[in-house]
Amino acid sequence: MPDKKSRATGPSLGSVLKSDDLAYPDGKFSAEMDRALRERPSFSIRSRLLLAFTLFFVLTLGITLWTMEILGDVHEKILFLEVADDFKVELQQARRFEKNFLLYGTNLDDARQHAVRAQQLTAKHSGRFLRIIGKDSLVVMNDQLAQYIKLLDAIGHGDRKKYESELRQHGAKMLRLAQDFVEKERKLVQSMLVLARRVPFIFLAALAILMVVVGVFLARQIIGVLTRLMEHTKRFADGDFTPIPPARKFRDEFSKLALMLNHMVRELDRHQRILTESHKLRAIGTLVAGVAHELNNPLNNIMLTASIFKDEYESIDEDERLEMLDDLVEQSERARKIVSNLLDFARQSETSIEPLDIRKILDETVALVGNHIKVKKIKLVLDVSDNLPVVHGDRQLLSQVFMNLIINAMDVLPEKGEIRIATRVDGDGDYLVVDISDNGPGIPEHIMGQIFDPFFTTKPSGKGTGLGLSVSRGIVRKLGGYIEVKSQLGKGTTFSVLLPVTSIPSELSANNSKRGKGTLVD
Amino acid sequence: MEDRLQIMLVDDEEIVGKRLKSSLEKEGYAIEFFLTGSEALKRLDEKHFDIVVTDIRIDEIDGLEILDAVMENSPETKTIMITGYATAEIAREALAKGAFDFIAKPFRPKDLREVIIKAARQIKRD
Repeated sequence: MPDKKSRATGPSLGSVLKSDDLAYPDGKFSAEMDRALRERPSFSIRSRLLLAFTLFFVLTLGITLWTMEILGDVHEKILFLEVADDFKVELQQARRFEKNFLLYGTNLDDARQHAVRAQQLTAKHSGRFLRIIGKDSLVVMNDQLAQYIKLLDAIGHGDRKKYESELRQHGAKMLRLAQDFVEKERKLVQSMLVLARRVPFIFLAALAILMVVVGVFLARQIIGVLTRLMEHTKRFADGDFTPIPPARKFRDEFSKLALMLNHMVRELDRHQRILTESHKLRAIGTLVAGVAHELNNPLNNIMLTASIFKDEYESIDEDERLEMLDDLVEQSERARKIVSNLLDFARQSETSIEPLDIRKILDETVALVGNHIKVKKIKLVLDVSDNLPVVHGDRQLLSQVFMNLIINAMDVLPEKGEIRIATRVDGDGDYLVVDISDNGPGIPEHIMGQIFDPFFTTKPSGKGTGLGLSVSRGIVRKLGGYIEVKSQLGKGTTFSVLLPVTSIPSELSANNSKRGKGTLVD
Repeated sequence: MEDRLQIMLVDDEEIVGKRLKSSLEKEGYAIEFFLTGSEALKRLDEKHFDIVVTDIRIDEIDGLEILDAVMENSPETKTIMITGYATAEIAREALAKGAFDFIAKPFRPKDLREVIIKAARQIKRD
């Protein structure tokens, strides 16, 4: 049972990860995000581009067809106008001869001939007339013409007195009608030509506006998604490994990218867990060695004393025997104490999340490193307020975090340096903050981005594993908090551990990302 | 000059010294016991010992430093190391540095006696 074993020997690291923790942290949640990402209807960037180009093509096609239609109309009307002009001329001729007849009594036949010719024209081009002026007007026109011819005939037969004025009026009406038609059509053709000349410009302007709108829309969509993904990657870099949730109603190439990023993050998380685990195993090794050494001393004393007691029983006097027995009891007691301390420790490790008294944890941690601090003659100032809000967490793990930060500070400080540990509550009261400051050399800008990276260390080889800060950040993040760093070259560094002030521990692991708050390092 | 073998015993456990001193003296050895490495080093400067038995982990001056001092000043002295946890590396390091032998805690007086007898024989042969 690896679980039990690790608990029994757990060092100042608290509960050791169970092996199934290593697989996928929020496996279910993560898989759900992936499914949600995948199951949206597809609307790829490719189809969006295709749609945009198709739209442009259809628009251009429409405009072209329309222009062709207009030009066709114009053509038709011009042809009509030619015929209509002939028609008008015939009618004018007819009327001129009609006038001659009325004045001089001549040319009646000519008048009739021209009127008939006009009639023939409308008959020959009836289709065209029909299309341009419509059936009703054509009927009216034909009727008037027929009536005119009838009147001419009637006058020719001698009823001149009777029909003269009617003929005149009718002829004038008929001619005016024809002239009106021609005039109207001519104007129409003109306006159509003007329109046909304007259309390309209007079309170009509309196209330009549309292109800008579509372009901006597409770009905004793409850049918007890119920005969002960049924010997510930044979040990942900060150690928040919550998978990317779907933000749109459809999926496209970016969804694939999001899926791959989620995959990457899962792998990162897994590797980080493995790292943490190996760090813990190493610490367990150190602890086991320490305990073995501790236990060996009383055991050796007991073995030596008991052996001599047996071997030399005859030769030693009563007092000495009693002394030996006392030693045996005393040394057994010493061994028992070591074992019971270890058990106490293991029992503590079992509970992982509990309400914590930060003040107590800081006191204990400082006591643990106290010796080293004295040896290096470093001044340690503990400025902890009394009324601290309750935070939840694992005391062993948190103690390890503070220990790591204090040791880091200690390692960079020269003799007689100062470490200051202070507590405060951040502005909104959401976080309890523990500031661990030193007045050491500070952290150079160019390595600031790396200090939380696993295996990054500035300590001489063999002295630092480069895992301390990385593991600390993992621990604090797991509790829903953050570690922030402020450093000034030559003046010192402050590491701030922000722990969420909560009363419900179950909320901690579920939703620990309070966005925008946790930018580390940078 | 007495012909008893001069043995120095260094261990930070009082009881180790108390028991082994009386036991080994009965065997006819001359034993001097020291609780700290620094005291032992001081005494090494003053007096020649035939055999030095030292715990590896004592205080700020550990058994290996005592071994170094012995090898430097009187290489003919046999040094026996007591290791708290018998790791092969430390034992190998000690042997490479010239230790005569090592013995792992916890041990019986008999075990130590055997190593001392072995060392004594070696001394005679030298």
